[in-house]
Amino acid sequence: MIRLQNVYKEYNGKPALSDVNLHIGLGEFAFLTGPSGAGKSTLMRLLYREETPDRGVVTIGGINITRLSRGQVPLLRRRLGIVFQDFKLLSNQTVFDNVAYVLRALGVDELDVRRRVASALAIVSLEDKVSAFPETLSGGEQQRVGIARAIVNGPPVLLADEPTGNLDPQSSLEIVQLLERISERGTTVLISTHDVPIVNALRRRVITLKNGQVMGDVDSGVYEYEAAVR
Amino acid sequence: MRTLRILWRIARETVIGLRRSGWSNWLVISILAIALTIFGGVLQTTLTIKNVVSSWGSQLEISAYLKEGQDPQTVARTISQIPDVQIVEIVPKEVAWAEMQSHYKVAAVNNPLPNTLHVRLSNPAAVEKTAERLKTIGAIEHIRYPLKLARNLNKFRQFLEIAGLVITASLSAATLIVIGNTIHLVIQSKQREIEILSLTGVSPWYIKGPLILQGASYGTAAATIASSVLWVIHLYLDPYLHDQLLSFLPMTGVLADNGLLPTFMVVLILGVAVGAGGSAWTSGRYIKV
Ligand SMILES: Nc1ncnc2c1ncn2[C@@H]1O[C@H](COP(=O)(O)OP(=O)(O)OP(=O)(O)O)[C@@H](O)[C@H]1O
Ligand SMILES: [Mg+2]
Repeated sequence: MIRLQNVYKEYNGKPALSDVNLHIGLGEFAFLTGPSGAGKSTLMRLLYREETPDRGVVTIGGINITRLSRGQVPLLRRRLGIVFQDFKLLSNQTVFDNVAYVLRALGVDELDVRRRVASALAIVSLEDKVSAFPETLSGGEQQRVGIARAIVNGPPVLLADEPTGNLDPQSSLEIVQLLERISERGTTVLISTHDVPIVNALRRRVITLKNGQVMGDVDSGVYEYEAAVR
Repeated sequence: MRTLRILWRIARETVIGLRRSGWSNWLVISILAIALTIFGGVLQTTLTIKNVVSSWGSQLEISAYLKEGQDPQTVARTISQIPDVQIVEIVPKEVAWAEMQSHYKVAAVNNPLPNTLHVRLSNPAAVEKTAERLKTIGAIEHIRYPLKLARNLNKFRQFLEIAGLVITASLSAATLIVIGNTIHLVIQSKQREIEILSLTGVSPWYIKGPLILQGASYGTAAATIASSVLWVIHLYLDPYLHDQLLSFLPMTGVLADNGLLPTFMVVLILGVAVGAGGSAWTSGRYIKV
């Protein structure tokens, strides 16, 4: 589903990713770990086309996304669910409106919007918060809104860059378990994280980056660079 | 249906953007309205002069005003000997006076008008040559002919066109800057929102559409104001100008009125182009999606 071939990306002459080869299959669930500055966010940004690689090829679902025109980028992003560390919710809109925004911008009719938002909010167990505003919610709840928004359009791929970075351990575990449940429905999920206990608790595929290179890739692994983490 | 729903959403976002802009809406609209009023005024005047010039320029008539005590019949006979002269029509001063009194409320003084001859020529190329020749006839006080006036009016029109173009261009540039600032402020106030929408795959047109519509509504509002101002000016100024021209050149008759509608249309198009174009340019510059 996601494939990187000989990907190289540098900032100001300093490589952030060098010669990365990676394949994540359909419906797979994987952690992307590594110390700060390893290139995790850079890799994520390449996947949702916030950046393009200097060399190499990135494909998602067989499509070479490095070759997308500007007009095609929104089409790609609609096929991806993206979850952010800082949630990126619209503070002046309710939970419902936040989740509904993209559907409405696509001209989906209001009945359909309601149906799909309700089902996304049910998956993240926030049915009772539809008319709340983001700042009245806890961090964990806000991140669940972010996840509902990411999945509302039924994307085949879900990308989460440090989704638990701003959360307490308990909420963090809940969020990652929620993402795991979503992957069980057939969605390919890639989570970048620093969170050692969570990676160790789930025993899923762990891809380890260091200095922009893939240093490890094990199927049911643990966090390998504990010493380097805060 | 789907497109309609998207347009409806964009319209709603536009209204939100306008509310957010507050007083700067009025700044933009006033400056644009001033620019459009000047532009429309120049355009309308130019069009009218063009009309007048083309109707006068094609007229093969020279009016000759006779000195007091000269016999119109004799002079007319002399003039009709000149080559290219087709008809000489005598307008006795009594007739001209009576006509003038019927048109305007003129005080009942002694008839101040001279006897007049309307000399019609067969060939436009002969107008000026014949005019020169008429001037040499002793019985004629002075002459008037539309072609000469048309020339002068044309010179004035050319000046007006250039001045109008310069003023409109510089005011439009000022407007573009103000619109740019206003839209830039809107973009800054929703920077985060724009980033989020872009990351979630909302299309750039959906994000920029409201901003461009906001600019277009400035254009529409300003064009409406400018058109109203021009209409009021037209209402008050036109009868006055009409009288002036008629008393100056009675033989040209009533001026063809080419109406304000075309001017209004051009003003509206220019207003919307400046408004929408300005905000499209600004959003293209500050929104990288
Ligand atoms: N926009 C940028 N401009 C310049 N350098 C950048 C930029 N983004 C990333 N880098 C550099 O690229 C390298 C990788 O950064 P990246 O953000 O991908 O690391 P990370 O693994 O996500 O780290 P963290 O765990 O702290 O989030 C770092 O050295 C960083 O300084
Ligand atoms: Mg990062």
